[in-house]
Amino acid sequence: MSLEVISVNFWQIVISLLNLTIMFLILKKFLFKPVKKVVADRQAAVDAQYENAAKAEESAKENKAMWEEKLASAKEEADTIIKSASENAARRGDEIVAEAKEKADGIIRRAESEAELERKKATDGMKREIADVSARLSEKLLEREIKTEDHRKLIDSFINEIGDGDDGNK
Amino acid sequence: MKQKSRTFAAVDFLYICMMVLPFVFAIVLKILTKPASEGISITGAQVYIRIPMPIQELVITEAQINSWMVMIVILGLCLYLTHGITAKGGSKRQIAAEWIVEACEKMVCGNMGEYFRGFSPFIAAILGLSALSSLSSLLGLFPPTSDVNITAGWAILVFVLITYYKLKCGFGMYVKGLCSPIAMTPLNVIGEIATPISMAFRHYGNVLSGSVIGVLIATGLQGLSHIVLGWLPGFLGEFPFLQVGLPAILSLYFDLFSGVLQAYIFAMLTMLYVSGGFDIEEYERRKRKKRKQDEKQLSISN
Repeated sequence: MSLEVISVNFWQIVISLLNLTIMFLILKKFLFKPVKKVVADRQAAVDAQYENAAKAEESAKENKAMWEEKLASAKEEADTIIKSASENAARRGDEIVAEAKEKADGIIRRAESEAELERKKATDGMKREIADVSARLSEKLLEREIKTEDHRKLIDSFINEIGDGDDGNK
Repeated sequence: MKQKSRTFAAVDFLYICMMVLPFVFAIVLKILTKPASEGISITGAQVYIRIPMPIQELVITEAQINSWMVMIVILGLCLYLTHGITAKGGSKRQIAAEWIVEACEKMVCGNMGEYFRGFSPFIAAILGLSALSSLSSLLGLFPPTSDVNITAGWAILVFVLITYYKLKCGFGMYVKGLCSPIAMTPLNVIGEIATPISMAFRHYGNVLSGSVIGVLIATGLQGLSHIVLGWLPGFLGEFPFLQVGLPAILSLYFDLFSGVLQAYIFAMLTMLYVSGGFDIEEYERRKRKKRKQDEKQLSISN
């Protein structure tokens, strides 16, 4: 059973009207809403990325400036350290050289005094020897015993005189 | 991960079934209920159920069933296209879904202005429902758009929207627009009412005429075949050779091209009428005025 080609039916019109409304709601809810949400999400993600990139660039610039500053200060510091170190080293070297000189002077002085002492000792020994020899000679000459102890003082002064005379000649 | 992808594929399959099965169901229903008809007859939609109702009895016809099937198919398509879309994107169906949405919004914004962006799902609904309804005739189904009740329902909804947007600018403006030259008032009122009727009949008539012309040409070719090739012996004389091919090419125009074109025209007219009846500048002016008044009242009461 079929309808006529043109047959107006009120309820069919109403149903068709509702159909279009439902179709609109379906498309809005199941196609437009999810797609728009996804597109908005993507836009937000892209925006966030751009923002992040800008932020990163800014911080990189900041970092660069900071590191440059730090590098400059480090160079300065290194310079001062090297300068002070070289100064220290120079001073220390001077000190060491001065010390060494002093030590060497001390050694020389001591050696000289020792030599002097030695010389004195030797001179004393010689004087005594000469005194002994002269005492013995005079003993021999006088053929008599001369008490060495008794004449020692006399002989010593004699020799001293000779020595002094020698010293004076020197 | 694999489990998830399996359920994903299962849901996809469900949606694809949702896109295909309604048409299969409609075809089966038609085959089961269509009485074998002798010769050529041009009739309206086939009636399945008659329900007594006030005003007029409600008939559920082929046209109604087919339009519901089309709606289910579109719902399945929407679900399939938006299934598993992500902000990252990349899948083909997501590109398609975004393209559809963007194209609709672009068209609506271009024709109606930025204010009507929310109209794009409605325009998409008209386009999808109308085009798929007309195209369902390619499957041998009764196209719902060749039933005047269906297109009349759409046109009345559009008329309601037109009037709503006209009244949004104020009732006075609406009446003033109707009586702009006083003598033209009756014509203006008729013109107002003629809008939905012309829209409904334009769409319905174009699709129906396609079917009618198809049937007429098929019949004519059968007769021509009898006259020209009737002298062939036996079965060959009976067979309408001229019916092969030509009706298919005509169907390509009347069903495919004309169906899609009428959908586009209906959507275009909707956009033009709705945005044409709505004076956005006047509306904005009134809104500003009202806000100013509200502020004044607020300051007085304070």
